[in-house]
Amino acid sequence: MLRLEDFRVVFVAVGLVGVLLFASPSLGLVLHFPAGERFSELWILGPGHMAEDYPYSVKAGVDYLVYVGVGNHMGSSVYYGVCVKFRSQSEPLPNATAGSASPLVPLYEYRVFVEDGRSWEAPLTFSFAYVSQNATYCLVRGISVNGVAFEIDKATSWDAENEGFFYGLFVELWIYNVASDSLQYHDRYVSRWLSMTIA
Amino acid sequence: MKYSAERVVLVSLLLVLASGLAVHGALCVVADDASAKISEAGVALRRAFAAVLEAEGAGANVSGLVVELGLAGENLTFAQNAYGSGDFVEAVARADRCVVLASEVAGEASGLKSSALAGAKDAEWRLLAFSGVGVLVFLLVLVLAWAAFRRSYSRRLLGMRPEVGSDVEA
Repeated sequence: MLRLEDFRVVFVAVGLVGVLLFASPSLGLVLHFPAGERFSELWILGPGHMAEDYPYSVKAGVDYLVYVGVGNHMGSSVYYGVCVKFRSQSEPLPNATAGSASPLVPLYEYRVFVEDGRSWEAPLTFSFAYVSQNATYCLVRGISVNGVAFEIDKATSWDAENEGFFYGLFVELWIYNVASDSLQYHDRYVSRWLSMTIA
Repeated sequence: MKYSAERVVLVSLLLVLASGLAVHGALCVVADDASAKISEAGVALRRAFAAVLEAEGAGANVSGLVVELGLAGENLTFAQNAYGSGDFVEAVARADRCVVLASEVAGEASGLKSSALAGAKDAEWRLLAFSGVGVLVFLLVLVLAWAAFRRSYSRRLLGMRPEVGSDVEA
């Protein structure tokens, strides 16, 4: 038969566990556990909302459609800027090492507000105008993004290795920083190659 | 007669020039107005978002406000696009709409924050009261259970009869 002291130890243990259980809701007010990793997602999907059938071989006068999306896992609501840019093969992309945005001027800018754990997606339509080519040189002088026309002057040379006149359509993700009261480049971009052809 | 015709031509030229300058000046003013309105809308949008973030931090449900902010942001994008294409009237109208929406959001966020803070305080007190009372009741029950167990244990111990063993072999 167990001694009385042994039962006392059992009672004390049960008492401690019970006190912790009843106090746990209040302990939650004081103890803060570290949050998980915080990050944002940025993507471009094809016309069928899938990562396939992206426009690649493009020409003037045709409307192309992709979807651009953002996912927020930053722990709170976030104000994002999604900048759509267009470049010739020789113009710079964002610098992933330095974490700086491309110096190119954005053609179109989405202003997006996303709650934590939610995502946002919107169509991005584009078309080209005034495209001229010869054997070694291609010039694009007009682009329309979401129905808004822009005059551009993007020239590129023939890429003998990949056999085409290549341009890049890319989107950069910017995030609003409350402390500095400004949108800052969020070190994320997605780019698609476009091979320009003449109809 | 000739002198009069020259004068008419001269006056006409001056009038054309003056009206051209006036139109150019008016366009510049409209463009400046639109640019200022777009800047104002950008500031209003950022302030509204900061207010929403504060409300969210206080524990308020800001889903509706985030949707409204999205609409305000769309208007600012349209305003910028209209400005870029030279449609300053549309740019001003869109920027104004953005400012109105952003101001509404900021006001609602402020109210939500206040009520969320008050609600959070109440919930905190309820939680503390529940924990405190729960711990006290549990300890009281445990002490009573221990006292009852000890009494029963003592009774069982005292009720035991000594057994006499024998090592005498039959």
